[in-house]
Amino acid sequence: MSALALKTHPPGMFELDFARHAASLPGAGLAWLDARRRVAIAAFGKTGLPTRRVEAWKYTDLANALEGDLEPVSHFGGAVDIANVFGSKPVDEVVLAHGLVRHIEVSGGLEVADLGLLDEKSPAWIRDNLGMLAASADQPLGAASLALMRGGVAVRVQGAQTLHLQFSNPALGHGAVSNSRVLIVVEQGASLRLLESHSGEPGRQRLANLGVELVLNANAKLEHIRLQSDDANALHVTTIGASLARDAEYRALFAAMGARLSRVDMNLKLASEGARATLHNIAVLNGGIADITTVMDHAAPHTTSRQLFKSVVGGDGRAVTQGRVAVRKGAVKSDSHQLFKALLLSPRAEADAKPELEIFADDVVCGHGTAIGALDADALFYLRARGIPEREAKGLLIRAFLAETMEGFADEAVQDALAARIDESLASLEQSES
Amino acid sequence: MNMLEIDDLHVTVDGKEILKGITLSIPAGEVHAIMGPNGSGKSTLSYTLAGRDGYEVTGGHMYYNGEDLGALLPEQRAAKGVFLALQYPVEIPGVATLTFLKTALNAQRRARGETELDALRTLKLVRQKATALNINEDMLRRPLNAGFSGGEKKRLEILQMALFEPKLAILDETDSGLDIDALKLVAEGVNALRAPSRAMLVITHYQRLLSYIVPDRVHVLAKGRIVKSGGADLALELEESGYERVVEVA
Ligand SMILES: Nc1ncnc2c1ncn2[C@@H]1O[C@H](COP(=O)(O)OP(=O)(O)OP(=O)(O)O)[C@@H](O)[C@H]1O
Ligand SMILES: [Mg+2]
Repeated sequence: MSALALKTHPPGMFELDFARHAASLPGAGLAWLDARRRVAIAAFGKTGLPTRRVEAWKYTDLANALEGDLEPVSHFGGAVDIANVFGSKPVDEVVLAHGLVRHIEVSGGLEVADLGLLDEKSPAWIRDNLGMLAASADQPLGAASLALMRGGVAVRVQGAQTLHLQFSNPALGHGAVSNSRVLIVVEQGASLRLLESHSGEPGRQRLANLGVELVLNANAKLEHIRLQSDDANALHVTTIGASLARDAEYRALFAAMGARLSRVDMNLKLASEGARATLHNIAVLNGGIADITTVMDHAAPHTTSRQLFKSVVGGDGRAVTQGRVAVRKGAVKSDSHQLFKALLLSPRAEADAKPELEIFADDVVCGHGTAIGALDADALFYLRARGIPEREAKGLLIRAFLAETMEGFADEAVQDALAARIDESLASLEQSES
Repeated sequence: MNMLEIDDLHVTVDGKEILKGITLSIPAGEVHAIMGPNGSGKSTLSYTLAGRDGYEVTGGHMYYNGEDLGALLPEQRAAKGVFLALQYPVEIPGVATLTFLKTALNAQRRARGETELDALRTLKLVRQKATALNINEDMLRRPLNAGFSGGEKKRLEILQMALFEPKLAILDETDSGLDIDALKLVAEGVNALRAPSRAMLVITHYQRLLSYIVPDRVHVLAKGRIVKSGGADLALELEESGYERVVEVA
């Protein structure tokens, strides 16, 4: 069956890109990869570019945000600004421009491969894993990122490692879309601190479409710190598929600021007993949409998930938080909690929160809570009555609101760097308020 | 000169007139007490003096050292020496008490054109004042008022008063919820600040506090008006006979 036969809508830029360029994409001719790309474009075709009519995208109309078809980026030779957003320069680092590897610097303990250079010599761990996650019809943009992958990076971790993935999006003279993938395989008992940053220069409309696969083998640990601070016109979708084996632990802190539309679309499977996941998300926005949509899939007994999402919204910004916790049959003693909080700083600011529970097992604990509101007037008065000027008092309260999301992640240098970024973003937000 | 002069003050909250013409003067160096039934407008008066949003002055004036208080933001009033110890101090999780004290102290100093104190100097100063009030280091490291007992919150208010050394201190029921020892500590803290250059307005329901902090004048507030004023003896009289008679007679 041809991929395009499933289509129910006229071919859009992704389908046309695939029809025209499949034969020249990286790794074309590798049977395993060709097959996965074909399945993926078919999966994407089931919804096409999501509009509000697709339930999971009802708050975030991607199709509507596009100003027109965007040209795929398959080459970029321009200058790349390398900024150490996480403070001190990490030893191991990969720099990507528009999703294409520019520079790899690793010292050992990590195997790193450029996905733009796949060939028959590519190692088995890539062949075994690439495209197995974050590419199904439930995650249509992830499927497109695999089908149309022009570049990206695959990483295999043994021992205890730290890696900085730096995505840089320099200005382009035309509207552009980058389709890229990240594959991280943390071997049994190994651990990785993954620092991931995305930054962009203002210019024509860009869509960064990234698919991320996280494979945690038994007893593996992954700490994932992610900072997305793209320019105000950018569109940014990151689809994450994660799978946690027995006693594996995933701890993540995501921060989104900037971008006209950003979405993290995560499906995390707690596949085996004792697997634990913690996801904290911070969104600071002055306009546009920041969306985090997650599925925590409790597929085995004694699995734990914790989610804490906090949004600070000014101007006419809109924060979207959707979290579905699914407890499968037999996944007894599953323990999950999700809490979504939003602080609205302007009358036009908006927050949409949608927690969902699907429970098919007995003896589970699943909690959730949602709180959306303005800054506490009592607290603001208290601080001002003690001499703290209004602007500073508001800043103090906003930072206090966000503080617990950062506790316990990474080291002080990373936390400070992240806090500094958040402060910058808050400063611009407050300015436009007063 | 009067440190505080309130002249026919009318205040409306959420469209409802709560203060209906208050006139009151406190000369520098004096301590005045306000007593009065629940809901009579005591806290409303204190919030209005501190400049809380939503407390709309619809008539009359408030002068502080001759300056129109109504024209100043709450933070400006604080920097100029007005301090309000709240009846219900606010819990702010996420802001460490010590950080808050340092931020507030330095904001006031900055506004007055004084040099800011570094972390070490602030800590020394805070510690010294805290010891006198029996506030331990652990409390200072915790988030501001979060999970503090009622009495601990009140003691922290007095610690702030000791730290900021205001010229006009308004204490809104700081004695409510204090045990006997804490009450003495708080009274000592207040008395230590009594000076010819300072004035205080002490809102209370109980004569007990006023036996430690002997006021120069006592005023009775009822239904948004001052219905009676007198010397320190008035508090004793009220304790004997209750408000009903006083309010009726007025
Ligand atoms: N936002 C509001 N809207 C309407 N009425 C209000 C509002 N806030 C306060 N009030 C009313 O104003 C009156 C005075 O309240 P206030 O808190 O000043 O009393 P109080 O004298 O301090 O009482 P207490 O001794 O119980 O502390 C009360 O009747 C109260 O219900
Ligand atoms: Mg009161």
